[in-house]
Amino acid sequence: MDFNYTEQQLMLRSIARDFLSRECPRSAVRLLEKDEKGYDPVIWQRMAELGWLGLVLPEIYGGMEAGFMELVVLMEEIGRNILPGPYFATVALAALPVLEYGNEVQKSLYLPPIARGEKIWTLAAEEADAGSDFNAMITYACPDGDGYCLNGGKTFVPYAAAADYMLVPALVPSDKENGLTLFIVEPSLMGVKVELVPTLTGENLGSIRFRGVRLAEKDILGGLGRAEVIMENMLEKAGLLKCAEVSGACQAVLDMSSAYAQERVQFGHPIGAFQTIQHRLVDMLTSVEGLKYLVYQAAWLMSVGLPCSEQVAMAKVKANDVYQNVALAGVKIHGAIGFSQDHDIGLYYRRALASRFFPYSNDHYLEKIAGHIGL
Amino acid sequence: MDFSLEQSEVSLKEDIRGFAEQEIPHNWIVNFLDEESRDEDWAFSLSISRKLAQKGWLVMNWPKKYGGCDASWVKYTVFAMAAAYYGIPGLSMGVSGTGWIGPSLMLYGNEDQRQRYLPEIASGSPDGIWCTGYSEPNSGSDFASIKTRAVRQSGEYVVNGQKIWTSCAHRARWCWLAVKTGDSEARAQDSISILIVDMRSPGITVKPLLNYSGEHIFNEVFFDDVRVPLGNLVGEENRGWYQLMKSLVYERNSFGGQSYGTSKRILDSLVRYAGETCRAGKTIAKDPVIRHRLAENAVEIDILKMFLYEIAWKMDVGMAPLYESSRNKAMADHVLEKIALTGTEILGSSCQVAQRSKMARLNGLIQRQYLMFPGNAIAAGTDEIEKNIIGKFKLGLPRSY
Repeated sequence: MDFNYTEQQLMLRSIARDFLSRECPRSAVRLLEKDEKGYDPVIWQRMAELGWLGLVLPEIYGGMEAGFMELVVLMEEIGRNILPGPYFATVALAALPVLEYGNEVQKSLYLPPIARGEKIWTLAAEEADAGSDFNAMITYACPDGDGYCLNGGKTFVPYAAAADYMLVPALVPSDKENGLTLFIVEPSLMGVKVELVPTLTGENLGSIRFRGVRLAEKDILGGLGRAEVIMENMLEKAGLLKCAEVSGACQAVLDMSSAYAQERVQFGHPIGAFQTIQHRLVDMLTSVEGLKYLVYQAAWLMSVGLPCSEQVAMAKVKANDVYQNVALAGVKIHGAIGFSQDHDIGLYYRRALASRFFPYSNDHYLEKIAGHIGL
Repeated sequence: MDFSLEQSEVSLKEDIRGFAEQEIPHNWIVNFLDEESRDEDWAFSLSISRKLAQKGWLVMNWPKKYGGCDASWVKYTVFAMAAAYYGIPGLSMGVSGTGWIGPSLMLYGNEDQRQRYLPEIASGSPDGIWCTGYSEPNSGSDFASIKTRAVRQSGEYVVNGQKIWTSCAHRARWCWLAVKTGDSEARAQDSISILIVDMRSPGITVKPLLNYSGEHIFNEVFFDDVRVPLGNLVGEENRGWYQLMKSLVYERNSFGGQSYGTSKRILDSLVRYAGETCRAGKTIAKDPVIRHRLAENAVEIDILKMFLYEIAWKMDVGMAPLYESSRNKAMADHVLEKIALTGTEILGSSCQVAQRSKMARLNGLIQRQYLMFPGNAIAAGTDEIEKNIIGKFKLGLPRSY
């Protein structure tokens, strides 16, 4: 049993905290909410220089070869600062599956530019009428000559307008059954149309139409008909990294609220001296620490290659609820100022809604846990 | 970070399962606080304490020279969790020799006291059964306001006053007693001392106080000119409050492993029950509401597990816990409450049947827990007091009371 961070993790955390608070103050976060691409290329380049974009990639692809736990620590800091930008989309939703399922040609072609901060990726999986139900998807890649012809549409795609590449699950009709297959698609191809989806959460999302987009055999990731297996695995990892991001955000909300309760004076006392406020903060603390340890438990299991889907599901259930509860309590403790655009707490409250449904909402994970505990 | 258990910790769990199969009757469901109620339960618990001591488990985390095995806190936590899971009684040596009186003696007692009292606890002997005299009729959460007083008189302390809610006083050989010793002008916190009192001393009267389910767990204890040797003072005179603030860390934490084991046992029992119980032609395990309720409990129980391992690891590496045991106590109370209430929902009206009735489902496990969890949540500091402590010591908030 060891609850310690390694030296490397502590260093990474301290560098990330310094860098993000200096380079990406919350004023920048607010400005970027209005930006079409939703990120700052200068910060992005600095992140590449710090090695973050290739943090867990092997050295031969320009990476740092750090472990999954380090990525968790970094995601906590990114969540803490609500760093806008396609880091999660590029690393969690694309670089990790390309590394795991890509062939040698794909890995050498695609991973080094990710590590260098030159290419942005995302995952375009959800469909308007299918949600995240693979069986209801109607985006098809039909065999066409020596390649495929992609038709359909995806929505709620993170950083769609910024992406240079996207992973797209599409159905390939065959004699036996529809084989859901993961394709690497460049939005610059003929027939791809990207449109921004305005959000109230500050999350940068887009919708994509595919009309007769020509794809080749080499654009398939992980083999024909393999998307369901790959997605299950990659969304487990990505879901957990999302939990780490949420965990960092919740810690920030707690810190801000606790500090405010000590400086805000009413009835002649700091409001933190009133038990209603104090106990609310303590409930926040307990739930934030609980979430943190569920995330660490699942991340540790994942990093040593043990089964962890039950623990990931537990972390995600907790992340969804804790973020919403903590952000709401944070707004309430701040009072009217917490409800105003000028205050940072509202940034978190709005984002709690976005992370709640990625990749799935609580029902999905509770069902998963129920299966694991023997129901 | 590494959350794996060592091989010896994993095999300990198996050994405890084997021990329980051999020693514990299948219909034995008694919560760790009510084993002192009925004489036959008490005798059985004591016999198990003795066997646990012989196995080297009862106080495995104590030093060898006091009867322990020098095991880590993590290993002891594994033991406490598994022992509660399998319903093993007799873990506490009253309330509680193993949980905090032993650890406190190691922190504040002198060597004579350690040699005198620790081996009795460690061996599971009836002479190692303790009760704890803190609460008084007008001093509950506001502990520093106690009135029971010890006065030095011809080479002895003479104690007068009354304690209440004293669990296990009717079974205990010794009392770990908080008394006023300082003069009346001194600050309340600077005038409290801890005495070891022989429960057979003349002048002690123990009166039963039955709880709302009719069980005899706690008592009123009256002290009328009870003479206590000066050598029974633990630590420094008038420093008792400060000593207690540190040893309460052990008290609050000592419930955690048992709460975890009990909750996990209830969860697993409810899962099995749901799989075996049919309504409208299918098992209730297929009902999404029941599935989600039990899954939500599983999450909270797993958090408690991580909290318990965290504090155990901190103590093992020599980091003094500050707020963590209050957090764990509050979390354990929450988990016990949630699973008990979930259980009543799943069992429906049958959960109101008397525990030992033939009609009781799951051996009366759920009704037992329904009756016990409010008591657990009050003992050793109410939820509200724990939150005050966390607010002050972890979040740095101003005193709120």
